[in-house]
Amino acid sequence: MTVGELSSESVRTRLAREGLALRIPPITVRLRSPLGFLADQVRTLYHDYEFADSAAYADIDIRMLAGAGARRWTRRQVQFVVDGVTPFEPFPVEHALPMFEWGLNWVVSHRLHGHLLLHCAVAARNGRALLLPAWPGSGKSTLSAALACSGWRLLSDEYGVVALDDARLLPFVRPVALKNESIEVMRAFAPDAFIGPLFPKTRKGTVAHLRPPQDSVRRAGEAAVAGAIVFPDFQHGEPTSVKRVPASPAFLKLAGNAFNYEVVGEPAFRAVAALVRNCGAWVLRYGDLASARAALDDIMHQSSP
Amino acid sequence: MLLYLSHDLLQTATMASQPDIRWRIPSGQRLLFEDFDDGIVMFDALVGATHLLNATAAEALAIIQSEPGLDTGAVHARLVERLAIGTDALPVAAVDELLWRLEDLNLVGGFIE
Repeated sequence: MTVGELSSESVRTRLAREGLALRIPPITVRLRSPLGFLADQVRTLYHDYEFADSAAYADIDIRMLAGAGARRWTRRQVQFVVDGVTPFEPFPVEHALPMFEWGLNWVVSHRLHGHLLLHCAVAARNGRALLLPAWPGSGKSTLSAALACSGWRLLSDEYGVVALDDARLLPFVRPVALKNESIEVMRAFAPDAFIGPLFPKTRKGTVAHLRPPQDSVRRAGEAAVAGAIVFPDFQHGEPTSVKRVPASPAFLKLAGNAFNYEVVGEPAFRAVAALVRNCGAWVLRYGDLASARAALDDIMHQSSP
Repeated sequence: MLLYLSHDLLQTATMASQPDIRWRIPSGQRLLFEDFDDGIVMFDALVGATHLLNATAAEALAIIQSEPGLDTGAVHARLVERLAIGTDALPVAAVDELLWRLEDLNLVGGFIE
């Protein structure tokens, strides 16, 4: 059963009581909150996700609670609580959903050390994954959203989850966080895509979330073999260009981009080496989504076995 | 007994007494190599650091890892043999400089027996 098959009232009740244990492979996340509007937003964005029985074990337990400090009288706030710990200052209550998404990212990047975690969007076609490693501002979320709306399978807009034994990419499919101009860019690029409410004046500007395609969510248990590594570099108004990156600098860029390379140690070194050996690497400079998508199609075609 | 010396101290000692400096990988250190067409990437497993090396540096480390205790001249001789080049292409002084640069990175240690 999926979250979207529950009534709005049922999701609200579950969040307010025992929690909703979302299956987000490779983990299960239990979310609890008394905030009804957050329940509605979660139901909309996680519409196609399965959920576990309320008594099932959850890897991460998150509560989004109304703030209890003195400021609650002048401005309502929300606290992110993970396994009983409150790692962040509260946010304005209307930013509860972005805080849940960012907070979950933070928890994952601090805990999922059984895998190599690249800061990387990943999309796949014909079972082969395209890795888009980049730091914020390079356009990887927008690019992965565009691919997801163009027939590619979305694995993640934020994490390249690499299995340490065979360097395959594991999906970690989540709503795609779009920021500022990229929201309208995606509305124009994919008018039929579902984009959730706008959250203005967050710490990252205006944020909205694109609901991942149903097929990507349903196939979130299917790993993909790495096919190509492309470092995206969005430059407004620039023509699209593609440049090959030799193996050893590609290694350093990829390892330097990981959240937990030093923590994982030798297996991470081996995994990055396997990725670089198995795939070519490129830098993609682009100024518009359509030509970037075409360039990525060409790269995947070139790198086919 | 092994006496590990810093670069500055050892340079002073060299001028004073010409000690027979020998090289080894520091205790607990483990170096892993991945050889790509355009360079060699090395992982320092002790601290999780990654280095991009040329062939000479990588070979020098591999030699010292497999035969700890070689002096600079012996490292030089094995390098020339492994890389199949003449001593004019790789003078001893260049190897000495290379070993001290690797020592700066804590990848090798110089000691006097």
